[in-house]
Amino acid sequence: MHPARLLLVAAAIGLTHSASAQTDEAILVRGAIIHTAAGAPIPNGAVLVRGGKIAALGTNVTAPAGARIIEAAGKVVIPGMIDNHSHIGARPTDLNDTPMLIGPQHRFIDALDWNDPDFADAVSGGVTTIVTGPGSGENVSGMAAVIKTFGTDYSKRMLLEKGGMKFAMGVKGRTRYPATTMGVAANLRQYLIKTQEYVAAQKKWEDDGKKGNPPARDLGYEAMSDVLAKRTYVRSHVHSATDVMTLVRLKDEFGFDLTLHHSTEAYKVAPELAKRGISAVVLPLGPRIGLGEDAMAGPYILWKAGVKVAMHTDAPVINQKWLRLCAALAMRYGIPEEEALKMVTRNAAEIARVGDRAGSIEVGKDADLVILDGAWYEPKSRVDVVIGDGQVIYERAKEAK
Amino acid sequence: MPRIIAVLLFALGIGSLEAQDRPIAIRGGTVIPMSGPQIPNGTLVLRGGKIVAVGANVSVPAGAEVIDARGKFVMPGVVDAVSHIGIDANDLNEPTDPMTPQNRAWESYNPFGTFGSGKPNPLRNIEGLTGGVTTMYIAPADAQLLGGQGAIVKTAGATLDAVLVKEPAAIDIALGTPPKAVARAANRDPATRMAEVAMLRQILVKGQEYERNKQSNPSLARDLGMEALGKLLRKEIPARIQANNATDIRSALRLREEFAIDVIIDGGAGAWEFKDELAAKKIPVVLGQVSHQYVSNEEIPDKQDYPTPDERLAGRLTNAGVPTALATFSRSFGSLAPAGTGKWLLIDAGIAAGYGMTEDQVLKAVTLVPAQILGVADRVGSLEVGKDADVVILDGPPLSVKTWVQRVYVNGELVYTK
Repeated sequence: MHPARLLLVAAAIGLTHSASAQTDEAILVRGAIIHTAAGAPIPNGAVLVRGGKIAALGTNVTAPAGARIIEAAGKVVIPGMIDNHSHIGARPTDLNDTPMLIGPQHRFIDALDWNDPDFADAVSGGVTTIVTGPGSGENVSGMAAVIKTFGTDYSKRMLLEKGGMKFAMGVKGRTRYPATTMGVAANLRQYLIKTQEYVAAQKKWEDDGKKGNPPARDLGYEAMSDVLAKRTYVRSHVHSATDVMTLVRLKDEFGFDLTLHHSTEAYKVAPELAKRGISAVVLPLGPRIGLGEDAMAGPYILWKAGVKVAMHTDAPVINQKWLRLCAALAMRYGIPEEEALKMVTRNAAEIARVGDRAGSIEVGKDADLVILDGAWYEPKSRVDVVIGDGQVIYERAKEAK
Repeated sequence: MPRIIAVLLFALGIGSLEAQDRPIAIRGGTVIPMSGPQIPNGTLVLRGGKIVAVGANVSVPAGAEVIDARGKFVMPGVVDAVSHIGIDANDLNEPTDPMTPQNRAWESYNPFGTFGSGKPNPLRNIEGLTGGVTTMYIAPADAQLLGGQGAIVKTAGATLDAVLVKEPAAIDIALGTPPKAVARAANRDPATRMAEVAMLRQILVKGQEYERNKQSNPSLARDLGMEALGKLLRKEIPARIQANNATDIRSALRLREEFAIDVIIDGGAGAWEFKDELAAKKIPVVLGQVSHQYVSNEEIPDKQDYPTPDERLAGRLTNAGVPTALATFSRSFGSLAPAGTGKWLLIDAGIAAGYGMTEDQVLKAVTLVPAQILGVADRVGSLEVGKDADVVILDGPPLSVKTWVQRVYVNGELVYTK
């Protein structure tokens, strides 16, 4: 884009947002190599943020009067990262309502402590947006939330309250039904059918002119009806290829949108996922002990097959600030650098359904940026500065030595 | 036909029973000996399972197999100062008894059929070898207060006995939440930190009495647990005490004084508070992975029981003069593990290079320092003449995520090739 046009865009964005932004201070980061997750890297690039949004991007961006300038020669800029799967912000005892095997009516925001110190930890690692949700102690454990990791205005931090319905395959009872893989599948199928019947009963009452009392509401079926209507989607914890295929069958039967999580053996059925547009969120470290190099190359195999892949931390299982290393491990097994970066930025945002706001450095998107002192994928590199919604929210220089 | 015989011999493990006799010369790489500065374009000669020469001007012996390492990095095998890899999840701890000093981790060690290939011979701990790990300390896990005796093993060898380096290597103890939580759930002791220390104190007193009685009465009935504790009380082996927060570290240091035993602090997330004492008395600390600082068998521990993770800790302790190693504390096969295995030890340790440690210090923290802490630095941990020929060849700088371990030699035998 021509510099003059960039400036015009900058001006337009600035005008649009100046009324609502907390501060109007513009920040220009310049001199760095910018990995946008939306195209080729821009060496010696500059990015201007204003009013909480990315206002201009390129190699010749001029700072407006009064803008703060961050000289970043030799540095690396990437989008604020998105951890697509974590359990941050709640006490460990609040993650799983295990007595209830199917509890879609649970919402993670009802357990969320917005001031949890883990959020600051995430920010220090360049993670600005996360999906945080209930655990895997139930076959359906409730609705995850998509939130920003910084800020004091909780309503602004909340991106999606209905951030995906958490399923967990392979979670079996020992002293009650279902205790087998078959049982889990049958139980889920039964619940989905009951949801269909619940929706049909509601519709019939409406079609009949809403005569008499409406059918009794059930918050579980109501929440699951959001899944069937694709107002939200299924995020399923799954390890074995058998369980992956069970989910694929359920998707084919009930027509919901599906993403796989942890996805340990998803690579074994990658073509089945690719042709249905099922994405996979992969945990590179945690539950993989002894699985060998084939499984470690899983994200590469999935990517090669055309599956949209994101990498996640499962925080607090892996500290959220090391999300970038989860992508680095994917890169190690053959995924090109820019594609690996997308797995903790753009892909992660799109899978979380917030791709219009987060996940890439493009004009108009939320101004969430990370400045590192070296390659984003190297263990020894440090995050120097994090910008969130257009403001500096972390500065390494101000940290205790 | 000779090839078939060779394959057969290899399959039977016979080839590896004999000490390596044809010399191997690894030539042209950047040699990182750990005991001294890096040697660009260095040569390393291995013979009879030992390192026989290392330097810039080393001549290649006649008949040697020459390995071209130009553009590569050559370093000693990584030493993982604690791992549970090779012990089945169900074999890590006794569920009913909080203290079993008679138990030997070595006798739970069962890598057969679980290390990648599924073939029984020869033994290859692929999970460690892919990360260049050649030596590790294996121990019972932390669901017991005193799990038993740990052992030091190599990650490759012809037979189980051949991989053994030292056994028993330590008495393995865990303080804090993990043993307490298990006991509390079973409605037995130790349900509190007080009970943990009191029970340890009592069993060590019993150990002292057993030693005394044994001396005055040689026909006293043998007690294998007490015999193991005797080794600890006579300082033949140290206690490895898992202690993460300040309370638990203080208890470990108190037991050390009270019973005049050698102590190694495992976990040590709160060790900075004790840096002066640790440095003055050279009490070693084995930290967990930098990216995952608390050490625990709990999948998601309660934060209140652990100090806030601090990536600077390894560098700060090292620079304060505390012998500090970085280890995996890797869980067993098949378990849901919060942190990585030996495969990731170098990459994870690389994080510390961004937090106040030089790359040389980081590499030492996973080679020479743990070898010294384990008491086997005469054999492993650096590339020095006379030490075991445990060598790793990498295709790039050891702490880069892009780097792959290309070859691993254990006792002079090529045991892993990428």
